[in-house]
Amino acid sequence: MSSADQTVRHVYRWDLDKTYLRTEFDSLRDLVRTAFQKARDKVNVPGTAALMRELRANGVTPNRVCIISGSPRQMRSVLTEKLQLDGASFDELVLKPNLSNALRGRFKAVRDQLGYKLPALLESRSRTPASASETLFGDDAESDAYIYSLYADLISGKLDETTLFAVLEACGTYEDQASAAIEWLRRIEPAGTVGRIFIHLDRLTPPAHFRKYGPRLVPIYNYFQAALVLMADGQLGARSVVRVAREMISGYGYNLFSLANSLQDLLRRGLPVGQVGEALVQFISGEATLGHALRPAPDILAALARRVAALGAPPSPQPQPEIDYLAMLDEAMPKKRSPAEPGEEAAFDREGNG
Amino acid sequence: MANSRSTFTAPGGVLRWERMNGPVQIALDAMGGDHAPHEPVAAAALLSLESPQMQITLVGDSARIGELLEQMRHNPERISVVHASQSIGMAEKPGEALAAKPDNSLSVGAQLVARGEASALVSAGNTGAAVLACAKAFKLLPGVRRAALAAVYPTQRAHGPRSDPFSLLLDVGATVEANAEDLLAFAVMGSAYARVISSNPAPAVALLSNGSEAMKGPREVVRAHQLISAQPGLHFLGNVEGVDIPKGTADVVVCDGFTGNVVLKMLEGVGETVLGLARYAYKEKLLWRAGLAMLSGGLHRLKELTDWQQYGGAPVLGFDHLFIKAHGRSKAQAIANAVKVAGKAVSAGLTQSIAEGLAKAPSQLVHPGR
Repeated sequence: MSSADQTVRHVYRWDLDKTYLRTEFDSLRDLVRTAFQKARDKVNVPGTAALMRELRANGVTPNRVCIISGSPRQMRSVLTEKLQLDGASFDELVLKPNLSNALRGRFKAVRDQLGYKLPALLESRSRTPASASETLFGDDAESDAYIYSLYADLISGKLDETTLFAVLEACGTYEDQASAAIEWLRRIEPAGTVGRIFIHLDRLTPPAHFRKYGPRLVPIYNYFQAALVLMADGQLGARSVVRVAREMISGYGYNLFSLANSLQDLLRRGLPVGQVGEALVQFISGEATLGHALRPAPDILAALARRVAALGAPPSPQPQPEIDYLAMLDEAMPKKRSPAEPGEEAAFDREGNG
Repeated sequence: MANSRSTFTAPGGVLRWERMNGPVQIALDAMGGDHAPHEPVAAAALLSLESPQMQITLVGDSARIGELLEQMRHNPERISVVHASQSIGMAEKPGEALAAKPDNSLSVGAQLVARGEASALVSAGNTGAAVLACAKAFKLLPGVRRAALAAVYPTQRAHGPRSDPFSLLLDVGATVEANAEDLLAFAVMGSAYARVISSNPAPAVALLSNGSEAMKGPREVVRAHQLISAQPGLHFLGNVEGVDIPKGTADVVVCDGFTGNVVLKMLEGVGETVLGLARYAYKEKLLWRAGLAMLSGGLHRLKELTDWQQYGGAPVLGFDHLFIKAHGRSKAQAIANAVKVAGKAVSAGLTQSIAEGLAKAPSQLVHPGR
C-alpha cells in the first residue's frame, strides 16, 4: 500500500454519468451535447448533491470521496466546476483516457468499462487503509453492478487473482489493463469491506434483475432510498436524510407521496428500513421549520408511517450468495465479449497467457 | 402539475367539494379478475411509467404484489401497496364471501377510498361483491336510492365533440328492479358521466322501452318518462327501442338493471358471433377468404371499436365515491384504461357533477324519504 491516509475509515466511491449526473449519451447528438455542456447546465440526478455533501460531512468520518467516471479526461475542469457548484467536495476524480485510447487505435477500450474501471478501483484501493470500509454508487446503464460486486469480492479476499485473471481473459481486456489490475490487486491487503453497492435504476431495470448479486447490492430508484438504507446501516442520521428529501422536493418535484412510496418499495424488497421510516416521521414532526419547508399537511406527513404499516410483515432478508462471475459475464456485459477488432491487440494469447 | 383530488363530506346535508393539489390517487384491487394478481399489478406498473399525474394504491397480498413488481419495469414512486390478507373469487356468492372474508381486497380498497386515502376504486373482480363492498363503505348521494352500473357499447353513430364511437347504457346489473325515481336518477347520473368523460356538453338521454311513444312500456317506465321530461338540464330524447341501441340514437340509454344486463350480454354475443362467422368463412372458401382479406382493414377497425378492453370499464354511479368495474377477463392494458377513466372522472369532478344534477331534480328525488 502506498501513501495511504491511515486515518481514513470509509470510502464513498461514485460514478458520475447517470449515477450523479443526469447524462444522456445514447446517441451521437447526446454525446456531443454532453461534451460541450457547461458546468452550470449539467443536471444532477435528484438528491445526489445533498447526499454527497451529507456523506462527506455526516457519514462515516474521516472519509474519502472518490469519483471514477467513464467521462473523458478532457472534461475534468467542467466536472470539477460542477461538483464545486454543488458544494460536493471530493478527494479523487479519475476520468477515462479516451483520447489516448483512440490515438493508439484501441477503440475497444473507448467503450470498455471493466478494463478501465476495475484497475482504477483497485489502484485507488491500494492507497486506502486495509481497515477502511466502502460504499459504492453506480447505475444500471452499463456494468456497474458486475464490476462493483467483483471489486468488492476481490478486496475482501473472497476472490483471488485466478478468478480475476479468468474474468479479464474472458472479457478480452487489453493486456496492459489486465496486468495493471492484477498488479494492483497484489498490493491490496485482502481485508476490505464493501458494505453497500447502490445501483441507480436510470433505465428502470426491474430490481429482480440484480437479485443474483445478493443483498449487498441495492437497486435504487432515487437517492432518498439510498439515504434511508444508509440511515438503517447507521451511516447517516435523520437530519441528513431529511436534507436529501428536501433537495428532492424543492428542486425536483418530489412530494411526500413519492417519498413515502419509495420507502415502501424498499420494505417490499426486504430492506430493513421500517424503523427508519418511523424515526424519520418522529424527527420531521418535531422539527417545525423542516415541516414547513416540506409543506406537508399533517395527514400527508402520516403517509410515511401508513406506508410502513400497510404492508404487513416484510419479507425476511436474504443471505449474500456466492457469485459465479464467469457464468454471469455474458449477461452482465454482452457487448464486451466480442473479440478484439481487426488490427487491435488482444489481451491474451490463445493459451490464455497474459 | 396541479391536479384535483376530491373527497365528499356531508355536514348538514350540504356536499363540500375539497380540492387539493397533488396527484390523483386511485385504489386498484390487485386480486380481482381472471388474471389476478399479475395483470392488475402489470397495469399499475404500466400506469406508473406513462401517467405521472396518478398514484396507484395496489390492494391485496403484499408479498405476492411485491414479488411481481420486482420483476416488472415500473416506477415505485407512483405505486403504494396496502395489504389485504383475503380475496374474493369470481364465482363466490357476494354476500357470503364478504361476510366470511372481512379482510378481502375489495372491502379494504373501498374503505381506503371512503377514508379519503384514495379517490376512486377500480377492480376487475367479482362484480356483485365489488358493488356490495362499495355499498357498505360508501354513501349514496342524496336523491339516489340505488346505484347503477353503466357500460359503454359501440354504436353506428359517433357521439359528442370528439366523435366517440360509443354510447352509455345504464343500469346494466346493479339494480335489477328500478322504479321511476331510480330511472330518473340514472338519467341524471348518465348525463353527468357523458358530460365529464366524453366532454359532451349536452348528451342526448333516452329511456329504453318497447315503443317511442311516451305511454308505451311498463308502468314505471311511463312514469319515468314523465319525470325525466320534467328534469331541468337534461337533453331528453324520449323513448327509444332496442333497434336504436346499436344505431346510437342516444348518447345515454337508461333502463333497469335486468333489461340492461340482457342488452349488454346480447351486444357482446352478437359481436362474438359475427367474428366467429368471419373465422368460419375464412376457413370455408378461398373466395370468401379473399373477400375477407380485402375487408381486413375495415374488420380490424370494427374489432377495435367493439373491443371492450378499449373502453376502460364500467363505472358504478350514485355513490359519494367512484368505483370502476373492469371486465373480469381484463389484461393489463384494459385495467390501465379503467384506471385512467377513474382518474379523469376524479379530476373532472364527476361525483360533484352528478350531485349537482341530482340537486336540480324534483323533490321526491332530493328527499327520497318522502
